[in-house]
Amino acid sequence: MTPSALTARVRKEYRSGRRTTFVLDVSLEIPPGFTILYGPSGAGKSTLLDCVAGLVQPDAGRISAGGLTLFDSAAGTNLPPQKRQLAYVFQSLALFPHLSVVDNVGYGIAHLDPAERSEQVRAILESFRIGSLGARKPDEISGGEKQRVALARSLVTSPRVLLLDEPLSALDDEVKSEIVEDLCAWNAARRLPILYVTHSREEVNALGERMIALDGGRVVGEGAPADVLGALASRKSAAKKRAPQISGGPVSA
Amino acid sequence: MNFEALFLSFRLAAIVSLLLLAISLPLAAWLAFGRWRGRFLLEAIVALPLVLPPTVLGLYLLLAMGPRSPLGRLWQSAFGHGLAFTFEGLVLASLLYSLPFAVQPLVSSFRNVDPGLLAASSVLGASPLRTFRRVVLPLSFSGLVTAFVLSFAHTLGEFGVVLMVGGNLPGVTRTVSIAIYDSVQAFEYADAGRLALLLLLLSFGALAVVYAVNRRAWSPWSPR
Repeated sequence: MTPSALTARVRKEYRSGRRTTFVLDVSLEIPPGFTILYGPSGAGKSTLLDCVAGLVQPDAGRISAGGLTLFDSAAGTNLPPQKRQLAYVFQSLALFPHLSVVDNVGYGIAHLDPAERSEQVRAILESFRIGSLGARKPDEISGGEKQRVALARSLVTSPRVLLLDEPLSALDDEVKSEIVEDLCAWNAARRLPILYVTHSREEVNALGERMIALDGGRVVGEGAPADVLGALASRKSAAKKRAPQISGGPVSA
Repeated sequence: MNFEALFLSFRLAAIVSLLLLAISLPLAAWLAFGRWRGRFLLEAIVALPLVLPPTVLGLYLLLAMGPRSPLGRLWQSAFGHGLAFTFEGLVLASLLYSLPFAVQPLVSSFRNVDPGLLAASSVLGASPLRTFRRVVLPLSFSGLVTAFVLSFAHTLGEFGVVLMVGGNLPGVTRTVSIAIYDSVQAFEYADAGRLALLLLLLSFGALAVVYAVNRRAWSPWSPR
């Protein structure tokens, strides 16, 4: 195991009365660099991210990042989110509407002294090409700029892992690829594990070094994007061919 | 116009609404974010003054402040006089009587804060207290204003509880609403009318502020 990798063995059951409605049961290792977490909606992608971030408590398992144990059901360890030193960019971005861009980005490094803090904020705003937005509020900037602010706010905290929950899904391709470029440039020196959730094939093809496919709460494929997508497609077509025999319905020519 | 009663009412309302804000912040935060299952019981207790007749609440408070009650004895030994029929007693009674008017707006505005922002704050390393201070409170500005204004206006206009606990001592416990009642009893309708009109205008003004803030007609955070 690489010391800076994220490893997660997680089991989480959701119940409605006595009926189990959803089970997330996965075991994965995310090495430094981009890993795409791919799957249809309802596959358990966001639940997995919430478990890693400490927003949802798994029923059982063990999660560690960069050598720090975040959760271990056997040892009774469960660090609260604020102690996990992770960066999590939500689909909604969750920028604080009452704070300026500078204050949003400085939020996670409030423990630093003011001069050091403003220098770090300035540097990261520059590297994400939003240096001129400092005094604006989130509702005064564009969608793409908001994404950059959310990324900068998370990354300035020097996290152990970066979790991205479909952060670019609402953007057009050009802006999207620019932001991904900036993110890759930022991570080139740091080599953090980045877990990037998406349900879009285009994003998989554009970003992929490595992917994990999730469906129904389980891992259904892992490896290079082209191989995993190929395996998923052939499995799907096999299932389609089998379907009429299973249901016993009329087969049309 | 009875300025003595007017001044007394304003002093009472100001003290009570400031104290209530301090008491209600932690209480409302606990009601809004706490995970204790029996929370509904506390919610029901806080809301009781909304439905209880003021005389019922007043009677229990009078008994609780009486010279033979533990609270009454404690007060007597600390300050050398009883609690009932004093301004302090009136403050205590008003705190209970106006409690739901401060707590409920705060609870509902705390619950209205986007849970995603709370999650983002904690993932960014903020303790629950810091999240409350830096995210929940600033985004609950309208709730804070509503809580303060409503508890102020409600205390200003209370009658039954004041009469039960405070009696009718000029300069000590005779509030505006009791002064109005006294004027009517003495057939001094002009005096009563002036005080009543003043209370009417103040109450209307207070409610206008509450509704304006809640429609976000103005707030320190909106750029418009």
